[in-house]
Amino acid sequence: MSDDAPQPAQEPYVRKIDRRTALTWVGVVGAATVVGAGVVVYGPKVGGKAEPKGYGTDPKLVNPDKAPWPRLLSDEELQAAAILSDFILPASGTAPAASALGVPDFVDEWVSAPYPDQLKDRPLIRDGLKALAKKAGKADAAGRAAALSDLAGSGSDFFRRFRALTIGAYYTTEEGFKDIGYIGNIAREADEGPSAEVKAAIEAQLKKLGL
Amino acid sequence: MAAAEPYDVIIVGSGAGGGMSAYHLTKSGLKVLMLEAGRNYDPTTETPMFNIPAQAPLRGASTPDKPFGFYDATVDGGWEVPNEPYTVAEGSEEFTWWRPRMLGGRTNHWGRISLRFGPLDFKPRSRDGLGYDWPITYDDLAPWYDKTEKLIGVTGAAPPRGLTNTPDSPPGCLMESPPPRGFEMFYARAFEAMGIPVVPMHGAVVTQKMEGRNTCVFATPCGRGCSIGANFQSTTVLLPPAMATKNLTITTNALVYQVDLDANGKAKGVSYVDRVTGEHHSVTAKAVVLAAGSGETARILLNSKSSKFPDGLCNTHGMVGRYLMDSVGLNVTGQFPALEGLPPTNDDGMSVEHTYVPWWGYDKHKELGFPRGYHVEIGGGRGMPSMGLARLMADDESSVGDALRAKLRQRYGSIISFNGRGEMIPNDDCYCELDPKTKDKWGIPVLRFHWKWGESETKQAAHMVTTFLEVIDRLGGKPVGTVERDGRKAISKGGEMIHEVGTARMGASDADSVVNQYGQTWAVPNLFVTDGAVLVSSPDKNPTLSILALAWRSSDHLATLAKQGAL
Repeated sequence: MSDDAPQPAQEPYVRKIDRRTALTWVGVVGAATVVGAGVVVYGPKVGGKAEPKGYGTDPKLVNPDKAPWPRLLSDEELQAAAILSDFILPASGTAPAASALGVPDFVDEWVSAPYPDQLKDRPLIRDGLKALAKKAGKADAAGRAAALSDLAGSGSDFFRRFRALTIGAYYTTEEGFKDIGYIGNIAREADEGPSAEVKAAIEAQLKKLGL
Repeated sequence: MAAAEPYDVIIVGSGAGGGMSAYHLTKSGLKVLMLEAGRNYDPTTETPMFNIPAQAPLRGASTPDKPFGFYDATVDGGWEVPNEPYTVAEGSEEFTWWRPRMLGGRTNHWGRISLRFGPLDFKPRSRDGLGYDWPITYDDLAPWYDKTEKLIGVTGAAPPRGLTNTPDSPPGCLMESPPPRGFEMFYARAFEAMGIPVVPMHGAVVTQKMEGRNTCVFATPCGRGCSIGANFQSTTVLLPPAMATKNLTITTNALVYQVDLDANGKAKGVSYVDRVTGEHHSVTAKAVVLAAGSGETARILLNSKSSKFPDGLCNTHGMVGRYLMDSVGLNVTGQFPALEGLPPTNDDGMSVEHTYVPWWGYDKHKELGFPRGYHVEIGGGRGMPSMGLARLMADDESSVGDALRAKLRQRYGSIISFNGRGEMIPNDDCYCELDPKTKDKWGIPVLRFHWKWGESETKQAAHMVTTFLEVIDRLGGKPVGTVERDGRKAISKGGEMIHEVGTARMGASDADSVVNQYGQTWAVPNLFVTDGAVLVSSPDKNPTLSILALAWRSSDHLATLAKQGAL
């Protein structure tokens, strides 16, 4: 393993939610314990229950409510999600690590959602996180790094899907926009079209293609 | 202040057809009651302008509750509407029906592509014996296209090209399109090398100073709606001036299911159910305009049964629900190394494409082996990242960390998506009727759809695939994902392009059509249809602009009859 291999998160991941939301979820699932402001630890979901409702066909769009369904990830799974998302996108220069942008919470929101695409992801992601927690949860830094490296190398469905969720969650934030170079979403008087630099670069490529 | 009963005209629906009808009829001094099945909707306060995915549940990804993504303007609808089912007949090909339940209907989220039908599109049967001729010509509708473009604000101003069946608007009708973005400059060169012109898009977006309208700010997707009214929505462009006349009353959550007739067989009003309270109401007026959307308009007519019309109103010849059409749709996406690693640039543009490719093969159909053409809508550029961003990484790439960041940065903006939108020829296998069993929450019979693409469409779809692959290849790119070359498998589902039209077409006689050239039903002289139901053909050009122009022309006729006391 090279010296500059990304280092996994060392501190436990803390859910990035406010206390009011936490209490709402507690009210819904009944099985969670509030251990401190912003930190909620969930027990496993009691099986056989009907899926909760989604956000409905007429949600508020300008100031959206938080996704209303209760979260399913156990703290162990959530910690594994933090370790893995930070392995995929650790802090780099001024770009924050995935966990700093709440990617583990997003994974929880995603796999807990009552919609078909997310229900399909749920067992894949949860089983993968459980397996990772077993391997890497109590390992030392080197053992953890090896487990993560193996996982990435395996090309498993779990790894690919988790990475896709991490990339999606990360780059749909202001910090992600900055990292990838999205500079839109600002009001402009006019659209002047691409800069001379961009035009020249495209012309050079077109020339190579004989166009 | 709302107008009080008695009303001159009841308009059912508030989208392109209903909105335009209300605009013209109220300005003509008629007292109008508009009934909208959905809830009231105000784009100025409800549009999530500049919101980013991180503020939305699931980062804005599409779900069955919001099939086009969380921020899409559509309210209470999509491919399914709660409590309002529809069915597809056994043995039919797939059909899907997009409905919103909101003031302004689909004009709130639509794609804003505003192409005029051309002269050939009105006379397909005269051209080659396929499809049916309209009772009007392009020249009959041209002045109404002019007026509509000037009213709603449409881009695409350019020196006249004289391209076949692709009308140039007269000077003063169109505004300038913004310059092509990088990927648009790029793909244009491949089409041009194939002898295919690329031209400015006609999009319903205000890009230049226009009285009473705000100009586009070249950011935030039009599909969310526009809080500053810089694009065309019925709710920002047609309904406010209609309200300002004080001649318009709007009732929302009013699901109309029947046209009521008087003893003389004339329309005296409509009956509706309040979707919130479940109460039934009947309202009266001197004339009724149906603009509920092609499917819903047909359903209302078919559900309006009486001893004179036992099979549904205006359906004596079995024409209601027939000749249902959609557009042919097909997508091929490519990834282009030549676009990798470009310097950051703002590609938000005016949301709708800046350029497009009109159909180029009008003189080649014999050798091509299919009779009708398509235009190409092309997306790409450095758009706001979405949950789909990970598609930039191949499944077998295991990069993480800085290597992953670098690859994403490198490839971001290097994807171009080619979407064919083609003409469908009406056929006897595509129609809707009342389902003999299924009813909605309020006990009203629902529509049952029948669908089958013809060979003209599936061969056209196959040609789209071949063309797009050639373009991708010329540009040094590779298709993304598996490409289906069999047109029958690659073609969109019926209804999927949300261009369902027909079902109450116009014609020269009551034997083969439901309405005359002014949308006036043959059977009931004070009953009009002003939505896409009246279309006789479904050219490749997206239908909204034509629905608006036809609705204006029909409303003008209605207003004239009203002035003459002839209703």
